[in-house]
Amino acid sequence: MTKKLLQPFILLSAFLLMACGGKEKASEPSPVIDTIPMMVMQIQKCAKLYTAEYQVHKIVTHDDQMKLKGSFLQKEFDITLPMGKRKIAIPMDASLKAYIDFSDFSEKNVRKRGDKIEIILPDPKVEMTSSKINHQEIKRHVSLLRSNFSDEELSIYEKQGRAAIINDIPKMGIIHMAQENAANTLIPMIEQMGYPQSNITITFRKKYTVSDLPSLLDQKTFAR
Amino acid sequence: MNDNKQLTGNTSPQPPQTPQPSTLSTLFHALGTVSKWVLGGIALFILLVIIASYLIYRSVVATGADIEVDQRIGITPTQIASIKQIGEWEFLSVSDEEMVDTTRNRFFADDELVRIYYGTLRLGIDMSEVKGQWIKKEKDSIIVTLPPIKLLDEKFIDEAQTKAFYESGKWTDEDRQMMYERARQRMRARCLNRQNIESAEQNASRQFYQLMRSMGFSQVTIRFEGGSNKVKSEE
Repeated sequence: MTKKLLQPFILLSAFLLMACGGKEKASEPSPVIDTIPMMVMQIQKCAKLYTAEYQVHKIVTHDDQMKLKGSFLQKEFDITLPMGKRKIAIPMDASLKAYIDFSDFSEKNVRKRGDKIEIILPDPKVEMTSSKINHQEIKRHVSLLRSNFSDEELSIYEKQGRAAIINDIPKMGIIHMAQENAANTLIPMIEQMGYPQSNITITFRKKYTVSDLPSLLDQKTFAR
Repeated sequence: MNDNKQLTGNTSPQPPQTPQPSTLSTLFHALGTVSKWVLGGIALFILLVIIASYLIYRSVVATGADIEVDQRIGITPTQIASIKQIGEWEFLSVSDEEMVDTTRNRFFADDELVRIYYGTLRLGIDMSEVKGQWIKKEKDSIIVTLPPIKLLDEKFIDEAQTKAFYESGKWTDEDRQMMYERARQRMRARCLNRQNIESAEQNASRQFYQLMRSMGFSQVTIRFEGGSNKVKSEE
């Protein structure tokens, strides 16, 4: 009786062991992560007329203190650790340029009435074309118990300084200057085509205000 | 006749055997004898113990501390150093990345600093370099003579976008300035080549041709100064 009960169990166990065995699947190769960015050269044809250039200067400052933050029995605490402070001042210069994009310029932008001509220009845009850190003028103070500023930390502060410069662009009046200078550049050119200066009119799509500025910033200006 | 038979031996009848009560049935029997108030009290006590345990657990789990350092920069003004009127036509932009590294040999292990720089070289013409009568109109035709294509600005690196890739050891600001110069020279050598200049010239011809056609001229000729033979003439 016992043997009859045991036999099916033995057979079932044998089948189960056979199912568990077998060849291991070849492990899929782990995806290769390229931690070094590709050296990309992106070449772009364009037709931009830069009419105004602003050289700006900013001193990026940072000071920090180590703090112990947390909660104990649902009560939050914030304690300044007596490890000393770190301070740094990073002078940086940036170049901002306003331009008119002539890529889509066509007959639709030109209105002629006899010997009078009106040019309707596209919206001006602003671009940060370069930035430079003045390494020789960087000033720092690091307490004895603190570690020096790392390269990564310096990059973080410089990126924030760059973003702060971009946020200050609406206060600079660069769009108005770009419009004026576009007229000053194009009018002599059109004069050489045979039109008297008094018959030349340069107009823009609309009168731009500070609220229009976010749409007039070149997308490449924003941080990566 | 008496047919009753007398049985010998143990004649007392065996009582029927009752099964042993299980633990569960004993428990249910005991519960049945306890009053409802006592049962309610026990249930309430168990509930209070569960609630208290949960509150103590939450307090213990919520306990923790971290050392934090605020990485935000201070608020400082942006000063305008100069404002300039310019007239630069850009016809080709070349965006480039360069990885620059520097190594210092030490006794135990080498120090190394690796940074990735980003820049955009802009090729085009500077309107301040055009000579007088660079646009000549002859009836319906027009001849445009453009100055040579050049790099519009020697400052083309966006150093604030630089990525710190790897650092070991101590490095000075002079080292970083030296790395910036190396990146600038590499980008200039890589991007300012004959092929890109020719591409910019071709684009300049095309763009000025379209501009002159938009102004109403049917015959347009585009030339470059400095012996460049780029001529685009359409009728």
